[in-house]
Amino acid sequence: MKRRHLLQTLAATPALLPAQQTNPSPDENVVLTVVSPESAGLPVRRFFTPEQFATLQTLADLIAPSLDGRPGAKDAEAAAFLDFLLAKSPRDRQVLYQRSLDTLNRTARTKHQKAFSELGPTEANALLAPLKVKWTYAAPTEPVAAFLRAAKADIIRATTNSRAVAEANIAGRRRATGLNPYWQVIE
Amino acid sequence: MPTFNHDVVIIGSGASGGMAAYILAQAGVKCLMLEAGPMVDFTRHRSMKAVYDLPFRGFGEPGRFPHITQASEFDANLWTDEKKNPYSHPESDPYYWVRIRLLGGKTLRWGRASWRLSDYEFKGKDHDGWGENWPLTLADLAPFYDRVEPLFRVSGRNEGWPQLPDGKLLADDSTESLSMERFLASAKKLGVPTTKPRRATGTLASSVNLLLPAAQATGNLTIVPNAIVREIGVDPKTGLVNAVHYIDRRSKREYTVPAKTLLLGASTLESTRLLLNSRSRQYPTGLANSSGVLGHYLFDQFYVKNTVTAIVPEARGGKGPRNLMGGAGYVPRFTNLKPGKPEKNYLRGWAWDFGSGGTPSPELFPQWGDELARTMADVQGAGFSMTTMGESLPRFEHKLTIHPTLRDEWGIPAPHIEQRYTDNEHNMAKDAMETGVALCEGAGFEVLAAHSQMVPPGESIHELGTCRMGADATKSVLNSFNQAHDVKNLFVLDGSAFPSGGVQNPTLTILALTVRATEYLLAQKKQGKL
Repeated sequence: MKRRHLLQTLAATPALLPAQQTNPSPDENVVLTVVSPESAGLPVRRFFTPEQFATLQTLADLIAPSLDGRPGAKDAEAAAFLDFLLAKSPRDRQVLYQRSLDTLNRTARTKHQKAFSELGPTEANALLAPLKVKWTYAAPTEPVAAFLRAAKADIIRATTNSRAVAEANIAGRRRATGLNPYWQVIE
Repeated sequence: MPTFNHDVVIIGSGASGGMAAYILAQAGVKCLMLEAGPMVDFTRHRSMKAVYDLPFRGFGEPGRFPHITQASEFDANLWTDEKKNPYSHPESDPYYWVRIRLLGGKTLRWGRASWRLSDYEFKGKDHDGWGENWPLTLADLAPFYDRVEPLFRVSGRNEGWPQLPDGKLLADDSTESLSMERFLASAKKLGVPTTKPRRATGTLASSVNLLLPAAQATGNLTIVPNAIVREIGVDPKTGLVNAVHYIDRRSKREYTVPAKTLLLGASTLESTRLLLNSRSRQYPTGLANSSGVLGHYLFDQFYVKNTVTAIVPEARGGKGPRNLMGGAGYVPRFTNLKPGKPEKNYLRGWAWDFGSGGTPSPELFPQWGDELARTMADVQGAGFSMTTMGESLPRFEHKLTIHPTLRDEWGIPAPHIEQRYTDNEHNMAKDAMETGVALCEGAGFEVLAAHSQMVPPGESIHELGTCRMGADATKSVLNSFNQAHDVKNLFVLDGSAFPSGGVQNPTLTILALTVRATEYLLAQKKQGKL
């Protein structure tokens, strides 16, 4: 468990010392402090193979690195989140990710005799050259280029929308983003 | 045991249903309103949440809404569930049907843009020979627009343009930012008219706060949520509507209620679906369909989102004066306004919404990593973007039919929807893009991206037609008062009544038409004709 998670868990645990006990309230309108499942445990990976996941982690770190004290994809655990998201995504999206991660890795091995996750930044960044193409409305037809475009958007979003970024914004007295009205199920 | 003391049944509670109840209940008419969805409680159903606390970090559940790009993970529970409410379209021609089944309908989420139609739309055939004229003119509808605009607190600026009629507006006298001034000057140089946005104002501008409370305060409106109407019943002797058959959304128990007069405002495609599903010996191809055009002439307004995205160079790095960025505006249709041969390679025209001060999407930059992060910091708040709305032409072959086997969760036959954009719309979109680039460059902006790819039909949520009004009963379903030619006690009030739609957002016109139709209904009742 990470230190942050541990601190959050400890903060949410009621103290049990008798001197600090409060009298039970007969009121049913109690408010308890809770944390989300994501804050309490480590996510279980279900979708990518270990090699695909390592490639995605490296890719995520290249696309959204930590910069000037702001969290990056690694701090946001963006790759682990995308493993979860892709497991639930339509089949064509899953295939695009899986095959393209395999291709990136294969290309790395062919060119450098190393896995993508073992490449240095210069070698790894060189394999992301399709991202240098000027934006067009239609996605690229070449699968790896299409994947890199999709993955770039997904990684940035998974990072920007993470708790790590929100906490860093608050700590840095920057405007916290991502707070919006949420609609419950209406029955 | 219910007491059937209502004078009219209203199906739907959105713009048209809500306005019908507002007018009729205040005139002393007993109204029974059937709404397919549940009631929204803004206090109970809505709360603030952080995006990182959502199960899918704001991505939304994958595959939940294949056709509703507007749905976010925050508001996913507002949109209609496609699995329970299926429809089909040709595989080659996707149709994005965007629905809200809640009390208040789409007025809970509408964009609020409120423009009047002009005689360029009402008399479009006279102008360029295409399609059919409306059976009314701006002069006929203007007094009703005059009443709707103050009710919805529409703000904007009157310009005196024939293609964008003036209204009863809350005057928008706000000043322009420096970047907007530059854009407006560039537009003026190229002869492109610009004005302020025209929008309904207020925290909420919906049927549920502006129309239904006043109607219910009269004691004349009974609202029934969760009532999904399956079929409209007809008296075999008179051919008039005499009943409405509905299903409780939750229990699926069926009910019937008598109807002396029926006002249908279930939304463009739902209303027509219901009429087509209401077949009888008198009306074997659907209720009020002696013309054979019911379901046909489906159209909307095509959208090209972010046609042009640009950067105001002086705003990079947060530099520039404080009033450099911000503000929004609108370009009305300005092409093909002269009578005779069109000046462009298309009929009719398009409009723009534009705004200053956003941050362009990171996907537009061919960068990643530190370089991209620094670019995003540099262009934060420095963006300028334009979205195109274009007129699509009503065509007979664009239609809603009933699917032979597909049923919704309540066993009601589902629609099959066919619409595609043609060369006319594509040529328009291309012209809009090229003109937009010229305007931005003329203003000294850096054009970051430009495209003319329209979203699929339906996605603008401005679906119109399929139950159109007209002077000729052999070519239309409704008369100029939204009354069915074939069935005198049936009125269809929503966007399905439109014979054409221009580029103006349709809700204001739906509201004005509804006021006009319901007051005609009151007059008919007074004269004993209904």
